Amino acid sequence: MARPHRNLVRDHGQDLRLFGTPAARTGLVAMLAVFAVLPTVVREDFWLSVLIYVGITAIGAIGLNLLTGYCGQVSLGHAFFIGAGAYCTAIAGGTLGLPLPLWLAAAAMVGAALGGLIGPFTLRLRGHYLAIVTLGLVFVGEHLWRNLRPVTGGNSGTSVTASTALGPVDLSRIEVAGEVYSRNQGWFWLVWALVGLTALLAKNLVRTRPGRALQAIRDRDQAAEVIGVRAGRYKIAAFMVSSAIAAVAGALFGAYQQFVSPDEWNLLLSIQYIAIVIVGGLGTIFGAVLGAIFVGALPALIDRYSDVIPGVQTSVGGDGFISVFALNQAIFGVLIVVFLVVEPRGLAGIWLRIKTYFRTWPFSY
Amino acid sequence: MERVSAPAPAASGQASGPLLAVADLTLRFGGVTALDGVGFTVAPGELLAVIGPNGAGKTSVFNCLNGVYRPQRGTIELGGQSLIGRAPAAIAGLGVARTFQNLGLFPQLSLVDNLMLGRHHLMRTGFLAGMAWWGRAKREEIEHRAAVEDVIELLELEPYRRTPAGLLPYGVAKRAELGRALAMEPRLLLLDEPVAGMNVEETEDMARYLVQARRELGLAMILVEHDMRLVMDLADRVVALDFGVVIAAGTPDEVRDDPRVVEAYLGCGA
Repeated sequence: MARPHRNLVRDHGQDLRLFGTPAARTGLVAMLAVFAVLPTVVREDFWLSVLIYVGITAIGAIGLNLLTGYCGQVSLGHAFFIGAGAYCTAIAGGTLGLPLPLWLAAAAMVGAALGGLIGPFTLRLRGHYLAIVTLGLVFVGEHLWRNLRPVTGGNSGTSVTASTALGPVDLSRIEVAGEVYSRNQGWFWLVWALVGLTALLAKNLVRTRPGRALQAIRDRDQAAEVIGVRAGRYKIAAFMVSSAIAAVAGALFGAYQQFVSPDEWNLLLSIQYIAIVIVGGLGTIFGAVLGAIFVGALPALIDRYSDVIPGVQTSVGGDGFISVFALNQAIFGVLIVVFLVVEPRGLAGIWLRIKTYFRTWPFSY
Repeated sequence: MERVSAPAPAASGQASGPLLAVADLTLRFGGVTALDGVGFTVAPGELLAVIGPNGAGKTSVFNCLNGVYRPQRGTIELGGQSLIGRAPAAIAGLGVARTFQNLGLFPQLSLVDNLMLGRHHLMRTGFLAGMAWWGRAKREEIEHRAAVEDVIELLELEPYRRTPAGLLPYGVAKRAELGRALAMEPRLLLLDEPVAGMNVEETEDMARYLVQARRELGLAMILVEHDMRLVMDLADRVVALDFGVVIAAGTPDEVRDDPRVVEAYLGCGA
């Protein structure tokens, strides 16, 4: 009995599978294996912390990509929602002492509520005007964070002591068969599991009715209205989902760092996220993760290797003409420009080209 | 200029009455009167053509029917329900579909996704159900994908399923837009110059698809078109507009021979 070819699609259900081909399933297994094994191979705290920050950034970038890449709404206010999530965790996880799933959910809900409050103001704006209004959000936020002392601790910041216990397992100190895993290892698993979950939820969103509506609004909002998409509602909803995810990223950020100060939620953070979604590829979930790995790891690596990069000051007033902070800013700017000009589809576009090349080989033209 | 009221449709003897009744429609932009007291009716299953020189107000009529423009005066009733003041998305939900003069496809989405968007108002999945995928979202995707496949088959769009709409050849894109409108399962289909810029063969193909769609789905259509041969072949009745006023209405032959229509097109008394 002849079996159908492994890539043959025979019904719509099969056509809709996320990992429909053997190659895709192999890729999924490989990713899961790397996820499980990596922290036991890379045990050094520096590298683990870089990977954790990258993962947190990837979550936030998926959120921004839903708004900017899929719905076409450029937002420079992402840093505001990330900060809100972090302070929310300082209260929900620290003061109230809620367990891990609850302080994450609380952050998501606060993020969604703030997004829902601000979303309606963005309805009549698009393009540069929307960017400017959301830019204002960052500065309003900075003012709030510095002055709402009971919540944020003012200029000096506040500590975030959120519990990392998941049921009987404390992720800060996992014990399996006599082997004890460190806080950084536990956090790696937590953060990257959440990256996978967020990516899955976002992917499901964009391949079903609401996600298609967002993309229709991005491409042609009036035609979208005429075929029955209520553009205003969807824009607000996109804002809410995006800020909810940003707040989750902020919650993880605060809980991992255990301390947050108002200086962290500045314009540079927003621009870093814009750089990530552009470098990774607007309108792709995978691209947001790739971009986070590529761009999100840069500041930490530059900081670490500043002594060998020529011209970088390793200390205030030291040798060199550019500080680590300024170099980061410059690199984000250069990356945005280079990718917009050379590869507007980002890293995801490059990856797609490589994949197509091998799939159609030897007829790659 | 004398105003001619549209004759009653052929189906007016039936108890159901007209599907669409437009009366005294007046639309002004500042000092410019785009439509002035326009009235016509469309019976269920009927194809009404709206003709007229450039700037006569044909697309403005569509924009009023769609809710994109709000007329200053007049009534628009679809199956007894007023459309005035309703949002475009709500009107789509009542069963009015439309194609655009210069393509209203979503260029970055694949053809299948474009057609699936036509089914948007028939689907219910919200943000949370969509994220969860398993359950309603998946069931709905499969169900409506099957309906979209019927349209793909009807219009012979099979080779282009995964092609981003922005990369479709012009003639195919026009057909895909018709497909998206048909996927909406409308009661009334508004076609804004479906064969503009097409060669003779593409025009004949489109005419064939329109005839086929009408026969199989039995929906009423309003056709705005400059290709007089297509209008005369397809239309049950024709309404001619000039400077926002109905100057003639009747069967294709009556309207073609009407001296006011000839004058509007040729600019002199014939």
